[in-house]
Amino acid sequence: MELTTATNFIPLDALDVTYLLVVGFIGGLVSGFIGSGGAFVLTPAMMSMGVPGIVAVASNICHKFPKALVGAIKRAKYGQVDVRLGIVVGVSAEAGVLYGAHIQEIIHSSFGDAGSNLYVSLAFVIVLGIIGSYVLWDAMKTRRATGDEPEKVSRIARWVQSVHIPGTMVYFKSLDARVSVLFTIPLGFATGMLAATIAVGGFIGVPAMHYILGAPALMASATELVTAFVMGLGGTIKFSWSGLVDIRLAMIILAGSLFGVQLGAIGTTYVKAHMIKLVMGTIMVLVLFSRALAIPVYLSELELIDTLDPHLSSALLNISFVVLIAALASGAAIVFAALWRGISASRREIALAGTAFAPDVVATPASPQLSPLGRFERFLLATDGSEYSAGAVREALRMAGKCGARVRAISVVTGGDTELYAMGEQLITKELNTARAHLDDVQRQASAAGVACESEATQSNQVYQEIAAQAEKMQADLIVMGRRGRHGLARLMVGPSTVRVIGHARCNVLVVPRAAELVGRRFIVASDGSRYGDAAAVTAARLAKLCHTPITVVSVTRPEHSKERKREAHQIVGRIVSFLKQEGVVVEGIVPHGRPDEVIVQTANAKNSDLIILGSRGRTGLERVLLGGTSERVIDQARCAVLAVKSA
Amino acid sequence: MTDSNMHAAGTTMTRATRYGIASLALYFLLYFFEDSVLEFTSRGGWYFIAPVVIAFVFSYFHGAFTSYFWDTLGIKAKK
Repeated sequence: MELTTATNFIPLDALDVTYLLVVGFIGGLVSGFIGSGGAFVLTPAMMSMGVPGIVAVASNICHKFPKALVGAIKRAKYGQVDVRLGIVVGVSAEAGVLYGAHIQEIIHSSFGDAGSNLYVSLAFVIVLGIIGSYVLWDAMKTRRATGDEPEKVSRIARWVQSVHIPGTMVYFKSLDARVSVLFTIPLGFATGMLAATIAVGGFIGVPAMHYILGAPALMASATELVTAFVMGLGGTIKFSWSGLVDIRLAMIILAGSLFGVQLGAIGTTYVKAHMIKLVMGTIMVLVLFSRALAIPVYLSELELIDTLDPHLSSALLNISFVVLIAALASGAAIVFAALWRGISASRREIALAGTAFAPDVVATPASPQLSPLGRFERFLLATDGSEYSAGAVREALRMAGKCGARVRAISVVTGGDTELYAMGEQLITKELNTARAHLDDVQRQASAAGVACESEATQSNQVYQEIAAQAEKMQADLIVMGRRGRHGLARLMVGPSTVRVIGHARCNVLVVPRAAELVGRRFIVASDGSRYGDAAAVTAARLAKLCHTPITVVSVTRPEHSKERKREAHQIVGRIVSFLKQEGVVVEGIVPHGRPDEVIVQTANAKNSDLIILGSRGRTGLERVLLGGTSERVIDQARCAVLAVKSA
Repeated sequence: MTDSNMHAAGTTMTRATRYGIASLALYFLLYFFEDSVLEFTSRGGWYFIAPVVIAFVFSYFHGAFTSYFWDTLGIKAKK
């Protein structure tokens, strides 16, 4: 691009544009992944090209809000965004942005570019030094400690959530708690002020939402994008009112960063929470060193220290630049590695699960008889009172009415740890009371439906273990629970817990999406010819007779399977169809081709089925990953209820 | 199923191309009218609206393009 006449705006050549595109891409990648952070790279990058600090900050903010918008929309699709929290923090951050920008302008007019650069660099060093080291330390600690355990809420967040200030309380879904805005306003202000100074408010915003308010790290990083959009828009208006935005810089960076932000957002779906902290902490500490090295040069330019030898100044700036590149490279490398590992593992899992469900060689059962199974006398209903459990409650009572079963309804509140209990006693008591009130309501519904029902609200650190233990204790025949909780207690209750309960329970598990209805239109039985499929068939026969429901038997083959394998699939279907006919059930059999989970769900949709019955193979850990993937995906994708039948 | 996958892939590719061309056109306009655009957007005062509108327009077209771009390459979120 040609030289411009505006004094604040530097000429750009092809190398500059390429540099901005690459840096923009990496900055966007980091932003999409950790919710912010592109700017701590982009502001110094522009400054290293000779762009005055204030123009660099202004142009950065102008590229930030559209990037944050695109990133927030992308991550909202993954259910990671708490829009309300983002807007509340964002609006209070606006005040911080205006104040921070005002200070910047005063410094620029009083001390010129060197003063502005020094101020920005000092802010980097102080903020990144304190928060960056803590985040990195916590990432390392969490990485060592973490298994599949859910993230623990910090002590301070427990306290913040337990404080009740009338007239100021707002419910946030990412926290699954009501928090006083008197806590969020100062956090928002600090976030905004930092954003206007170094264009990366997220380095306060994300840790604050995670450590102080108690939002999960993934949700905090995604919600920060909403905050970044709100304050980025405000900041852009403020700076462009003074004519400081270089739209060329902003749009060139945006060109690269939108590629990055999309990729970074996709990456978050493959990683655990500590990776967010690891990337954030690593980059923060490296950029801190980079900016610290440049500070003596700015001090010298302002004559606050003895004038540095030109060679030394040049060396310091060069080393600072190299460290900045190292920060860029490290952050991008960690995100790329996480993305690559995640995608590869996911593909391997899909391949293995698909193969396991429809193996190339089918072991013909030694006996033509099917295993005896399918008792429905005692139900354990796991509910948390959320909308995600509504379907489970409704259908558990309906089914119990048909089968004449007894129902035990439980609601498990997390937080059995003694120390946590001491910290959040009020909170846990409140949750237990809420759970009891909900269970009373369930008992009333059961009574109205003529179903024998008892209930208990319990407390445990591991929801799935408690559910499995309760089922074992009462010798339950069936556990009924909901699906697709996305946050807080609901997520713990019916999200990952659903899969874990299936892994740990010895009895069958019925998973009911909130809108699903089990009225007996048609059942789908999926079998691969193993004893697990047989168990599903026996259970299906029992249910079909109770509900007078027709059944479709499905055995899926993959396109790459041999003719012999396909012939065996027909034999499997034929064997189960004859068994069901003998039981007096109206039945049809099909052998479709494709990916088992997709085909099963599509068949259920096409047949307007209200229940899919599957044999559950895996129990826990590696075995579950290798063998149970298909069931898990069917449960996740199906619109109707899914019954996972455990083999004896 | 294979047909529907191919159809979906084709649609994604078409959309990526459509938004890609729109995005490229916007950047060409910015390049050819660089001085005028820079002068207009840096006037200050109520002209602040210019950079904001430009940013929204670029983010709409280029954002859609980049999303479809990664989709076309098969890089998608974990379900």
